[in-house]
Amino acid sequence: MRYLSEYRDPDLARRLVDRIRDTATRRWTLMEVCGGQTHTIVKQGIDEVLSEAVEMIHGPGCPVCVTPLEQIDRALHLASRPDVIFTSFGDMLRVPGSECDLLQVKARGGEVRIVYSPLDAVEIARAHPDREVVFFAVGFETTAPANAMAVWRARQLGLDNFSVLVSHVTVPPAMVAILEDPSCRVQGFLAAGHVCTIMGWTEYEPLADRYGVPIVVTGFEPLDILEGMWMAVQQLEEGRHEVENQYVRSVRREGNRPAQDLVARVFRAVDRGWRGIGTIPASGLGLREEFAAFDAELKFDLGHVRAEEPVACRAGDVLRGQIKPFECSAFGTECTPERPLGAPMVSAEGACAAYFNFGRLRQPVGGAV
Amino acid sequence: MCLGIPGRITEMTDDLGLAVGTVDFGGVRREVCLEYVADEVRVGDYVVVHVGFAISKVDEEEAQRTFRILREMSELDDLDWLAEVADAAEAVEVPQPGAGS
Ligand code: SF4
Repeated sequence: MRYLSEYRDPDLARRLVDRIRDTATRRWTLMEVCGGQTHTIVKQGIDEVLSEAVEMIHGPGCPVCVTPLEQIDRALHLASRPDVIFTSFGDMLRVPGSECDLLQVKARGGEVRIVYSPLDAVEIARAHPDREVVFFAVGFETTAPANAMAVWRARQLGLDNFSVLVSHVTVPPAMVAILEDPSCRVQGFLAAGHVCTIMGWTEYEPLADRYGVPIVVTGFEPLDILEGMWMAVQQLEEGRHEVENQYVRSVRREGNRPAQDLVARVFRAVDRGWRGIGTIPASGLGLREEFAAFDAELKFDLGHVRAEEPVACRAGDVLRGQIKPFECSAFGTECTPERPLGAPMVSAEGACAAYFNFGRLRQPVGGAV
Repeated sequence: MCLGIPGRITEMTDDLGLAVGTVDFGGVRREVCLEYVADEVRVGDYVVVHVGFAISKVDEEEAQRTFRILREMSELDDLDWLAEVADAAEAVEVPQPGAGS
């Protein structure tokens, strides 16, 4: 496929690996922000091949993993209602709530439907005027324009049986939370290419400056990630800390303006809880007052749903890069992709699932591969 | 979740005021909302698609440029390697007379 398979060329990948090894005079610590990048890095063994030059810490960039338990419980509550058709992206279905997951609610007769696009959920609402259709609006800045459009469209079509359960998160406040942590070891970031496709990278410029960290906007294919790592390592070696763009085929500095505009019209910044991390100020998006009629939390009065995280799960430490998944005592024993205790074991983009699926059951031995 | 896949626009239409179209992903076709890229794309262009929405037009020139750099780098490596072998051969067989002395 064009613009895809060529970014997996093993020969070029090897060249980049050599370049990074040659450039690094010491071992640097980088964090990839996005779960899609985590998946590629662990699957391709990029971190192991380069373990002497770069330590990769896996960041909190999987919206499935950071959606708070409370919000999952609210989704389960709504999906169990007989008057509701609950719609969601497929990857939310197996995220464990306090007692069960959406798939189990579906098995017990709740109407849960997987949609590919949020606009499909709007179409379902249009086709079923007698039912309440709720869409689980999760995701980072990448997904916000799609979800904003669904709400906008529902209003344009005059639908009063469509609402969204919003759990949107935004990346820069999470990066600040990581950088402000006194035990932070991150020396440079690979920023998420598709988040920046929407938002551009102007928000990252003050961060690179203030915290003295290189931030390289990076794509998702193996060559993208290797080139992003190489660019970050070059900056570190030269003592620079700038925002650079590796993912030039998709990202422009100003981002996608029409998408930003609609997101700003539909959503506003709100404090948001991150699973395992806690509440980060102004780190999420909620509906603007003007769109309150489409807010499932108001429509169905969900304020009473409160939940506690399972104690064994160390998702917060994993998501902050404090421990690797195999350092969690439940990893691979009480917690597996079949029976996940925490969200990072559910999603293919979660660090715990990536480590489990690709056989990273213990510390890599290191050494040249 | 933030997965975005490049595909080629094969058709553009309007659905009650919303720019939509068909995008071909290596043979698989899907309906995609083009509203966020409508001003800059035409049929035949490549776009990155995420949850049914085109979020950017693939900049073909930039894509080529990156590749050129990667390939050049690769070729340079080849040349380095050849040069090293040549140097080594020369060092043994034909020492450079008087260099730096
Ligand atoms: S392995 Fe399971 S229990 Fe441990 S941190 Fe990961 S998701 Fe939580």
